[in-house]
Amino acid sequence: MAERGAGPDLVAEVFRAEAGRALATVARLTGDLGRAEDAVQEAFVMALRRWPTTGVPDRPGAWITTTARNRALDVLRREARRPELEAVAARSALEASPPILHPVADDQLRLMFTCCHPALASDARVELTLRLVCGLRVAEIARALLRGEEAVAKRIQRAKIKIRDAGIPLRVPPPELLTERLASVLDCVYLTFTEGYAATAGDELICHELCDEAIRLARLLVALMPGEVGAEALLALLLLQDSRRATRIDTEGGIVLLADQDRAAWDHDRIAEGLARLDQAARHQQLSAGAAAYLLQAAIAAEHARAASWSATDWPAIVGHYDQLVALTPSPAVALNRAVAVSYADGPAVALPMLDALAGDARLASSHRLYAARADVARRLGRAGEARALYIDALALAPTGPERALLLSRLAELDVEVAARS
Amino acid sequence: MRYLVLLYGDEALDPTPGTPEFDADMEGYVAFSELAGDAIVGGEALQPSKTARTVRHGDGEVRVTDGPFAEVVEALGGFYVLDAPTLDDAAELARHIPAVASGAAEIRPMVEWTDLADERGPTPAGAARYMATIHGHEDGGETPDTMAWNEGAQAHGRFAEAAGDAIVAGAAVHPTTTATTVRVRDGELLVSDGPFSEVVEVVGGFYVLRGTPTEVDAVGSLVPVGPAGAVELRPIMELGG
Repeated sequence: MAERGAGPDLVAEVFRAEAGRALATVARLTGDLGRAEDAVQEAFVMALRRWPTTGVPDRPGAWITTTARNRALDVLRREARRPELEAVAARSALEASPPILHPVADDQLRLMFTCCHPALASDARVELTLRLVCGLRVAEIARALLRGEEAVAKRIQRAKIKIRDAGIPLRVPPPELLTERLASVLDCVYLTFTEGYAATAGDELICHELCDEAIRLARLLVALMPGEVGAEALLALLLLQDSRRATRIDTEGGIVLLADQDRAAWDHDRIAEGLARLDQAARHQQLSAGAAAYLLQAAIAAEHARAASWSATDWPAIVGHYDQLVALTPSPAVALNRAVAVSYADGPAVALPMLDALAGDARLASSHRLYAARADVARRLGRAGEARALYIDALALAPTGPERALLLSRLAELDVEVAARS
Repeated sequence: MRYLVLLYGDEALDPTPGTPEFDADMEGYVAFSELAGDAIVGGEALQPSKTARTVRHGDGEVRVTDGPFAEVVEALGGFYVLDAPTLDDAAELARHIPAVASGAAEIRPMVEWTDLADERGPTPAGAARYMATIHGHEDGGETPDTMAWNEGAQAHGRFAEAAGDAIVAGAAVHPTTTATTVRVRDGELLVSDGPFSEVVEVVGGFYVLRGTPTEVDAVGSLVPVGPAGAVELRPIMELGG
């Protein structure tokens, strides 16, 4: 009887699940990402050739990692004819390494710190993490991030060369660097999530794959760095935001705003876990600024998650969290969100001057969200003409199809309101 | 691993030699030397950029003009060659360099560093030492083990033969895509990808040359550069000792 699904599909599935782990371990053993990548690639080629006849081994991950380790060792032995100190050292490390029975999770953590090193460009960090830690292919990364495949491939290649030539270490940073470096890792995971949760271009609002990968990475960080409050707060934030994922789009792919979402359909397991993580994180007294920012954002998400309905939302509490967040990270995007929260806590008339003040900020000049927020407030104040003009401005800047559709429906509603009044 | 650390800062903020501020600045560098110890393989402070001369290649001509390669507010003020196991270690050392508190350090992994100072002996009377930095566009010759690299290495070999005793030291660095810039602000080390400035970035490496101004202009004109490249010749500040 033929082995069940021992063909390319299964190998691809194993690749997806195991490539990152195998790479992390072989990279530690060889001290060389490039060699490790080649070796893991070759191990999967061998799997493709062998598994259809031999069947899938009991622990495919260990098989891949061991095979890759042996491939790397072969290459190093072949190179021994022109011995370099490095190669000799790597070879003895490999020869001394015990048989690999299960992947070492710490290796993945090491690899994450390397991929998220601040000496790499921010775009490259996300791409490299998805490629090396998550095992996504370049084409998948380009599609998920809506970036050009060639540009992604080039940036990843350049980052790998920099890791090798500039001597970016493959390690979890020592304690004195940890806080600073962990912030860079957390930001990379958060960016991965937000890219998935609210795409910045294209016709699909959510890329589920990126959301799932980000949560997987955040869980890994929490598991491997217990007591790191920033990681815990980030996981709480991601779980709470992600609990609404399924209700954020309708069957036609259109946006459903928070006010209109079916709260019964939110993922209540995620909410329960997110709230528990938040409680855990909030118990810490000493927080780095980065950790505190994730904690506050999680607290805001928790207020929404706890509210039984849109009208039951505790807006003053949300504004309170935003006040602290603005003090911590004075970015115009945070100020914009705060003003929107104020419009519900204290009324649109109070929020309008805050939004108008933000209109002068060059960093928001190309943001459709500021125009849309001002349009909403103007509409709620009964200033239809102003609202209409602002919706049209927002429409011109909205980057995705679903966002444009939402703004068009707002415009249509406005016309109906105006017609009804006249 | 060897790292070239290029120090950039606003020259207007540099203290004048002979003032107490200058002495305090020097003490900062002495403290750094003690801290870094054997990790310091080499290093020099440079005279202000207005003292520079620049050799430009283009249209089949070589011209030497007064002034730096590019007029910038934050100019190169000196360099160190550091020996450190990883980029993190190099950055941790660089954070203690006084210039990094107000300016920045660009850290470049080195391919090669040749220091002939002991062999050459003291600088003869009438001669001075210059840092000759190579500028222009990267053309692939900065990547080791490529054909362009090998051609470049041969050109530099021929230059070394022609220049003879005028070369005191030479450095080859990896491409600017491997550069990292560090700053210290409010006691925090800020690390970012890329060179400090694309306008003045050093491409390929530099030499330390010595001779009279005329001799150094002549030798500087022979330094191999890419098409439309340039070499900035900057007098080294002789701090004695």
